[in-house]
Amino acid sequence: MIRPVPSGPQVDAWWFDAGRTTLGPAELAELSAGERDRAAAFVFAADRHRYQAAHVALRRVLARYTGISPHDLSFRREPCPRCGGPSGRPVLTAAGPLAAVPWFSLSHTGDVVLVAVAGRPVGADAERDPGRCVCSLAGSMHPADAARVAGLTGQARHRAVIGWWVRAEAALKCAGEGITHRLGEFPVLPPATACPGPAPGGCELATVPAPPGCQAAVALAAPAPGLRVTIAGPLPGPAAGPPGTLGEGSERAARRQR
Amino acid sequence: MNTPAAAGRAPDVTRELRHLLAAVTGRPELLACPEEEALFGTGVGLDSLTGTLLLRRIQDRFGVDVAAEDLNLDSLATLASLAEFVARRSAAAGPAG
Repeated sequence: MIRPVPSGPQVDAWWFDAGRTTLGPAELAELSAGERDRAAAFVFAADRHRYQAAHVALRRVLARYTGISPHDLSFRREPCPRCGGPSGRPVLTAAGPLAAVPWFSLSHTGDVVLVAVAGRPVGADAERDPGRCVCSLAGSMHPADAARVAGLTGQARHRAVIGWWVRAEAALKCAGEGITHRLGEFPVLPPATACPGPAPGGCELATVPAPPGCQAAVALAAPAPGLRVTIAGPLPGPAAGPPGTLGEGSERAARRQR
Repeated sequence: MNTPAAAGRAPDVTRELRHLLAAVTGRPELLACPEEEALFGTGVGLDSLTGTLLLRRIQDRFGVDVAAEDLNLDSLATLASLAEFVARRSAAAGPAG
C-alpha cells in the first residue's frame, strides 16, 4: 500500500542502522549504475557499506510513497541555488503520474541513517557525537547562536554545538545549498523554531528524536508553523529490529536475509 | 604560484595533514590515506562536520583559512590538493608554527 506523502507542516523521519544491515545481491541490485560506481570509489569497505545501506534505505523509503520499485526510482541533482554548481539538492524524477512527489533528505553519520520525507522542500541532518572537542565549530556560528552557547561549559556546551550544527546543516539542505555556504549567516538555536534563512522564505526547524549518541534535526520550507515530526521507521539501537532489518518497510528483505 | 619553497614543503605538510585527519576523525587507518583519494563524497567519505573540524585544525596549525581563501573548496578534493594549497599559502604567509 502506498503511504501518503506528509502534507503541510508534517515530516516523516525514518531511521536505519547500517551496522545491522546485511546487503546481498538483491539489495545491491536496487542501486543505480551511478550509485554502484560511487560505492566502488570508497577506500574502506566500512564506508562503502554505509553508503550502500543508506542508499538502499532511501530507495525503499521512497518506494513506499510512490509505488515505484526501488530500482526504478531515478534522481537528478538540482544546481546549487547559491553558486550554480553541481552540488545542489538531489530530487526524485517522477516517472509517470504520481499523486504527490515526495521531497526528501538523506543523512548518515557512522552507521546511523536518517531519511526525512515531506510534501515540500525538507532538509535533515544527523550527527554522531564525534567524541572529541567540537568547540572550534562555534567560530562558524551566527552571533546570536554564539551568544547562546557562550555561557555553557563542559558537556552542555559540547551538546549545544553539535545541536547547532545539525540545525544549521538541515536548514542549508532544506534550501538545497551546499554545506560550505553561509553556515553562520542565520541563527538556528532554540527557543526559536522559525529560521530566517538561508532560502528567502526561511524555514521551520525541529529536533528529531535520535538514537543514543546522536543528534538530529529537520528543516521544512516555510511557512510551516507547528512543524511535526513522525518517526515512521525504527530508531536504531539495542531495541531495534532483527539484524538486517531496513525499517518497517522491508520485512520481506529481512526474512530473506535470515 | 607553485614556488620551489612550497613544492619542497608539500611532503611535510601532507604528513601533518594525515595526522590531523586521523585525529579529527578518530580513525588511525587514515594515517595511510592515499594522497589522491577523494576526501569527501566517496574516497575516505569525510562528512561535512568532520571536514569543518579539519579546516579549523589546519587554520590553527598553518594559519591558512582554506574556506575563506578557496571559495570553491577545490583544494579539499584530495589530501594532495589540500597539501599543495596549504604549502603554497603558508609559504606565502611566512614560516608556519
